[in-house]
Amino acid sequence: MNSRDQILAKLKTNKPKLIDLPLIETSIFRDEGLDIIKEFIKKVEVVGGNVLEVTSNQDVINKIESTFTNQEVCYSHIKGTQGFNTISLETIQNPHDLENLDVLILESTLGVAENGSVWLSDQEIPVRVLPFITKHLAVVISKKDLVEYMHEAYSRLSGFNYGVFLAGPSKTADIEQSLVIGAQGALSITIFLKQ
Amino acid sequence: MSHSELASIFNKNEKKVDWHDKALWFVRHKRDLSVHEVKGWEALRNLGHGIKAHTLSNLDNYLIEFEANAIKNDIQVHWAADGDEHNRIVHNIIKESNGKKVVKSKSMLTEECHLNPFLEAHGIEVIDTDLGERIVQLAKEKPSHIVLPAIHKNKHEVDKLFQEHLGTKPCDGDPQYLTGEARKHLRQKFIQADVAITGVNFAIANTGGFVVCTNEGNADMGAQLAPVHIACMGVEKIIPKQEHLGVFLRLLARSATGQPITTYSSHFKKPRKGEKMHIVIVDNGRTEQLSRPDFRTSLHCIRCGACMNTCPIYRRSGGHSYDATIPGPIGSILSPGKDLKKYSSLPFASTLCGSCSDVCPVKIDIHSQLYKWRQIITKETPQPFVKAQTMKIMGQMFSKPSQFERVGKAVRWSLRNLPKSVINSKLNTWGKARDLPEGPKQSFDQWYEERKNNQKD
Repeated sequence: MNSRDQILAKLKTNKPKLIDLPLIETSIFRDEGLDIIKEFIKKVEVVGGNVLEVTSNQDVINKIESTFTNQEVCYSHIKGTQGFNTISLETIQNPHDLENLDVLILESTLGVAENGSVWLSDQEIPVRVLPFITKHLAVVISKKDLVEYMHEAYSRLSGFNYGVFLAGPSKTADIEQSLVIGAQGALSITIFLKQ
Repeated sequence: MSHSELASIFNKNEKKVDWHDKALWFVRHKRDLSVHEVKGWEALRNLGHGIKAHTLSNLDNYLIEFEANAIKNDIQVHWAADGDEHNRIVHNIIKESNGKKVVKSKSMLTEECHLNPFLEAHGIEVIDTDLGERIVQLAKEKPSHIVLPAIHKNKHEVDKLFQEHLGTKPCDGDPQYLTGEARKHLRQKFIQADVAITGVNFAIANTGGFVVCTNEGNADMGAQLAPVHIACMGVEKIIPKQEHLGVFLRLLARSATGQPITTYSSHFKKPRKGEKMHIVIVDNGRTEQLSRPDFRTSLHCIRCGACMNTCPIYRRSGGHSYDATIPGPIGSILSPGKDLKKYSSLPFASTLCGSCSDVCPVKIDIHSQLYKWRQIITKETPQPFVKAQTMKIMGQMFSKPSQFERVGKAVRWSLRNLPKSVINSKLNTWGKARDLPEGPKQSFDQWYEERKNNQKD
């Protein structure tokens, strides 16, 4: 017998009698008075991100250009902002060529209030390494796309090949428990909230 | 060496023990603040427990379902009965892709299988990319905590280590500077890597996908750049459906560090274009642990480390004193299942206070299992002579109330009248690092009788 069949046979013999799968009753977690938008903003700040309110995609670009001045390599994946791009993804042969990316703008269609995370899947990330390799990350999301809890978030997710819940900039506290922002991934994240 | 012998080495540096104790208690405190914000936290823990219990009771079928879906997603699935087979499989995949350089994000399973030394012996460079793991790798040590691998090291030690290996400038242990230098060093490794290895936090049976959680972004920096991604998982990492992630991702980071979620919770389902993705499913003693009714819930563990942060013994003895891949309370109930003799001292490294069970996000009754392992170990492994004899004498004494009373009287008198040198003699391990209390004049029985009589008057 190969290892696969051996392992499966052992599991079959050794497992206990079937135990029922509990149902997730999300109503017990719901806080009726919760202001989703306020909570989301609070949690993004808790996890080390910034939140700015914007009126349009052009507003996003203006705010980024005033915050991050003199950036060399920039790429935006939101509508009507091609003028911002200094690189074209078509000419990128290999994800390694994105090593010097300074500012990246992506759009998310799902944010979670309880933890300040935003969902980015291959539909929003043209090259998977983008949100990790960039120095600064900006994510644009509409207020209507925010949900309270992870349970609601998962009920909206299907059909992706890769996706990430991203909450705040990359961080570590591995040296004497001192929190340092900017480990291996993005050094900063700014969430732009649209009406 | 036993846990207590190794702990006494750690205890030599009192200042460090003190720091270690307080640092971990601070993490435990952050966990408390974070979970108290969640409405229905206890219900969430019950769900975590229930979903894991159900999954284990149907694990073979869920693994078959997971495998079929993963293959549909163009992932290659491999099975390993033990650590050796796991290492051979990983090595073969690397060889087939002509890989020489490997970057690896945190995976306790690959630690358990001793993958790094195996690959290094075959001329492959393996770089641990989690900062804490990179620190212990450079120091040629093992992680002392599953979430905070370098918690036993202070910043000055890291400073020296980086000067020696990464050529950094002396910086008086500045964490910001050291982390920045590690970032530059690891960027180079990510760019050059031929193969990326990651662990698996959760594997979802009905989608064939899996989730990896990190704060640093190192799993994705590896997996999204290298042409080959190998994910290694124990059989118990399976959950039935994607919706169950909602429960476990809410539990995991809050229990681990008090964060509401890890910075990155990456959901891998299909390889990116031109990339190869492999999953290695490993048993290595897990099916056997499943056969033990008293201990099978130890397989619920989602590796948050909360039981370590809260444990009064772990905090004061350090992770290395357990001499096991998974230290702390959860490690002390997992390890004896693998090697009863080698790990026979671990279930005794506890006060049985139960704090581990109280914080466990999937409600493993860790302290009861520690107690149950003690019963087995005392019967099946030889006990030290003094301990065995003392236990025998104590057993006889406790069995007869009149005898207990007589001995009690003598002990109370001795505590009051004998010199400290006698009371704290070598035989009395309780007197090793503390003074015993002064013996009261009355026993509890006498006090109780007297009180009852006074009330009658």
